[in-house]
Amino acid sequence: MKILIPLKQVPDSTVRVKVGADGKSIATEGITWSISPYDEYAIEMALERKDAEPSTVVAVVTVGPARSRDALRQALAMGCDEASLVTADETAPPLVVARALARIVSDAKPDLVLCGKQASDDDQGFVGPALADVLGWPHVSMLTKVVPTEGAVELWREVEGGHEVWKAPLPALGTVHKSEKEPRYPSLPGIMKAKKKEIPERDLAALGVDPSAPKLEVLSMEPPPSRGGGKIVKDGDAKQVAEQLALLLRDEAKVL
Amino acid sequence: MRILVVAERKETELRRVSLELAAIAKGLGESEIVEMAGERYSPLPFVAALAKKVEAEKPDLVLLGATLNGRDLGARLAARVGRAYAADVTELRADGSGLAVTKPMYAGKVRAKLRVPLPAVVSVRPGAIPLKEGAPAPQVAKLEADASAEELTFVKFAATASGGKRVSLAEARVIVSGGRGLKGPENWHLVEKLADALGAAVGASRAVTDAGWRPNEEQVGQTGKTVTPDLYIALGISGAIQHLAGMTSSKVIVAVNKDPDADIFKIADYGVVADVFEFVPAFTEAIKKARSS
Repeated sequence: MKILIPLKQVPDSTVRVKVGADGKSIATEGITWSISPYDEYAIEMALERKDAEPSTVVAVVTVGPARSRDALRQALAMGCDEASLVTADETAPPLVVARALARIVSDAKPDLVLCGKQASDDDQGFVGPALADVLGWPHVSMLTKVVPTEGAVELWREVEGGHEVWKAPLPALGTVHKSEKEPRYPSLPGIMKAKKKEIPERDLAALGVDPSAPKLEVLSMEPPPSRGGGKIVKDGDAKQVAEQLALLLRDEAKVL
Repeated sequence: MRILVVAERKETELRRVSLELAAIAKGLGESEIVEMAGERYSPLPFVAALAKKVEAEKPDLVLLGATLNGRDLGARLAARVGRAYAADVTELRADGSGLAVTKPMYAGKVRAKLRVPLPAVVSVRPGAIPLKEGAPAPQVAKLEADASAEELTFVKFAATASGGKRVSLAEARVIVSGGRGLKGPENWHLVEKLADALGAAVGASRAVTDAGWRPNEEQVGQTGKTVTPDLYIALGISGAIQHLAGMTSSKVIVAVNKDPDADIFKIADYGVVADVFEFVPAFTEAIKKARSS
């Protein structure tokens, strides 16, 4: 089985994101970039298949700026077999990215495409379902488990109160919510091996996909409203503090 | 402006977010509200039926709830009909020939104001644009899903052990979350009893779901759920930046932690420096008393 994961490089989840001087983008100077967390889960999910069935081939691709090469290298170090980069402006509309990925998928012919359910920069969750639609493939969102069966795949989708289990004919696409285990760290031999691997690069324009798509325009960005530290309720024993807090919630905050 | 609202039902009742959407649509222009008929959500049959309607009637805006299914359906529908798509918006208004929306980005660490060209598909975060009291019940038409478009087979529903009895996290008005300070899954009755006293949903920090103490679906924060309840109570949660990103927009935040320097206190409206095992039972009783008198 061949599994392809389109990934995106985003600010690491530990970065305290700040709005840049233009007020319309984030300050990127000195920040650490990583594979978007849900994409990392998708990689881990694919590598777990590879652990179970070593003939599985896991490929990663990204459509993004040149710095994304580091994220691809990271994925190779985790144990992915192949990586390729399509260089594109960060502002390429998601539908155009989906078309570019569809072109990559047509060439690579994977049985399964796994996307993170959303990238943790724009938090949109558009490209995965859009890619399935451009390809004309079925998709299932919010995956936490993938179980291959004869010529098909069982996809576990997390919903309220449990999981829906769907059977999809191959090829199919899934958007990943969580892997069963936490994403693995690259091993030292993995890092060494990844260094030697070639990452072929193409430009988005060279793929010849339709570049027209509606575009959202960022008017401004701001930090979420700051919340100062509030009241510390501390007078008396546990019972007295509990009673004061309950009354504050009822009569002052009016949330009971 | 002409708006098509895609409503959702949970069991027999329309979801609250669907009522919120109906009210937003009414404020924007002329609206129609449909609900997909079909046993359960599946992208292809739902998208096929909706795309046909959208292409025939050309509403300026399609509104969905930014729920589990709404976000997935909205994305694929927007791709199918080639429209602009904005997910999980928390504010929205008409702006000349387009829409001005606000949406969280960078896992909630940034609020972006965006201009969305029309026609568009937009999903709105539940509870972000609250319903005014006394809004009339909307008229909802059924739209048949296109079963011929289905390529997937539904196998089964596997319920989680604690499954489904409570309010869902995404729509809950009150949430009680537990963290590592609870010391183990055997102590979760403390969280649950307080949640029961408040009619609240139960959440957890990532440390807790990663340790397998609670199911993943209860995780609040980056890589979990982003929530905006009226009241968020954090028990034994230190307040890692990834957790804060998921709940910092809650209206009122209460934190109980025995470490006075815990980051959670920097954003809490009310803090109690105490041992959760001692404080939470007393607080549960106090809540019951305050709610009944």
